[in-house]
Amino acid sequence: MIVAAAQAEVVERSTPMSGATELVVHHPPSASAVQPGQFFQLAVGAPHTILRRPYSAAWADPISGRLGFIFNVVGAGSAWLANLPEGHDVDLLGPLGRGFELDGRDPAIVVAGGLGVAVFPGVVRALVARGRRVTVLLGARSVAQLMRSDRFAGAEVKVATDDGSAGHHGSVVDLLLDQVGGLDIFGCGPTPMLQALMRAARRLDIPLSSIQVALETPMGCGIGTCLGCAAPGRAGGYLLTCQDGPCLRADRIDWDHMTDAFHG
Amino acid sequence: MRFMADQLDIGVGLGHGLRLRGPVMVASGTFGYGFDAPLVDRSALGAIVTKGTTPRPRAGNAPTRIAETPSGMLNAIGLQNPGVEHVAREYAPIWASWEVPVIVNVAGDAIQDYVEVARRLDGVAGVAGLELNISCPNVVNGLQFGLDPRLAAELTMAVRRATELPLIVKLTPNVTDIVAVGRAVEAAGADAVSAINTYVGMAIDVRRRRPMLSRGSGGVSGPAIKPMALQAVWQLAAELSIPVIGIGGITTPSDALEFLLAGAVAVQLGTVNYLRPESTREVLDGIAQYMHQHRFNNLRALPIRGVRAMAHA
Repeated sequence: MIVAAAQAEVVERSTPMSGATELVVHHPPSASAVQPGQFFQLAVGAPHTILRRPYSAAWADPISGRLGFIFNVVGAGSAWLANLPEGHDVDLLGPLGRGFELDGRDPAIVVAGGLGVAVFPGVVRALVARGRRVTVLLGARSVAQLMRSDRFAGAEVKVATDDGSAGHHGSVVDLLLDQVGGLDIFGCGPTPMLQALMRAARRLDIPLSSIQVALETPMGCGIGTCLGCAAPGRAGGYLLTCQDGPCLRADRIDWDHMTDAFHG
Repeated sequence: MRFMADQLDIGVGLGHGLRLRGPVMVASGTFGYGFDAPLVDRSALGAIVTKGTTPRPRAGNAPTRIAETPSGMLNAIGLQNPGVEHVAREYAPIWASWEVPVIVNVAGDAIQDYVEVARRLDGVAGVAGLELNISCPNVVNGLQFGLDPRLAAELTMAVRRATELPLIVKLTPNVTDIVAVGRAVEAAGADAVSAINTYVGMAIDVRRRRPMLSRGSGGVSGPAIKPMALQAVWQLAAELSIPVIGIGGITTPSDALEFLLAGAVAVQLGTVNYLRPESTREVLDGIAQYMHQHRFNNLRALPIRGVRAMAHA
């Protein structure tokens, strides 16, 4: 794994869905090195903040040397990053952690809740590039918070919203019930959504080992030293999101004791 | 800038034969056991202080373990560590091949825990010294060792008898009179003190209406605590005859110089390692540059008031 701290130029800033910011940076070494599902630690210059913010690379393009980060503004750090003007540099540390395993039995089913979708554009692109059949299940509070389905070219996209403003009226996890033969699942979203995903999988006799999740926990260093990003392991003790994850098999997690707090 | 540090005498003595080639160390808990920091220039380090190590492995606290606070952070990791046996068998042999000395931070619930770790590491190649984390709660008295000069001295004395290793005692700032604890551990045989450990603090998640950390409270570190840490070091350096190692919110060369001017013989960088892994090198180079500019050719000349501890260094 190549890990480096570097200044990357912000080349584009947009709003991929309501409340979220997509920051595109130009940094060819990172765009080439990052694997789908890996993350970077972005340094923040906001007053009184100190920790870096861990964001998954939403996608990366080795040819243009660009990579994107999609995040919600939830605090002073993310607000500062969301307001970085084009042409300014952002300090990246990474790529860090483990990405997704992209080989498996078709179809690949992506289950994304809320901002959990942020990790998936690059993952889906990589799965499609491997010739895999991909179904993307997108869930959000409302239609405004849904990522556009053209971000998942080559995949079938189904949506669910909590308020029924688009697609299925209810949880994205409900959409899993219509899938047949889905034994290779990729999940990311709020802890309650992932917990619902695990319950649904048990009901459908889908082994949790066939589900990979991208974990989100509060994080300090991102490199394994602070032990702050602990997630309860099913085999006892704790896993570290930054070392054992963020992408890992769902059967390694003690879902009953997962937390859902994080700083922004 | 790198050449400057080589031309100056920036070696530091911490007593009991422990010499560092430079005054910048990394603080316990911010550098693991020295293996997970691909970006750190180990040649810039005077010493590595490890994660707190207990007699047996500990899983640590349930999440959430950390939270950001204004200019700092809270942590309640809960001493997650693999236990002294693993450290002695798996890590120490690797450290023995490193140039940089590794100081093992020791923690426990009872005096016997500290003694057991110290005894196990005594004479183990690769272990250059011990730093006692006396901010742990004492299971017998229900107090933290570091809150009570008598308990702190008792602990220090017991560990002193168990090992020939250089012994640093890391003081907690959560006391009315840190100098009294410093004096007590000095009299009990500590070779040096490091100050300070984290301040007790907390943060509450207003939206969820519960503490941010699962334990409720944790330790505050980072620039937020620097002024208080500096004042503690200033007092300790004046009153103690053993070396004082300054810790608390150091992020820049200027921060480190404040501690050295206050009388610290060396400094430890902690929270900043999470933000900028390269800062140990930057701080070392900055210290060297300052000494060069102001024509100091050794660190002993830096403290504002002159420091008695240097005579022992």
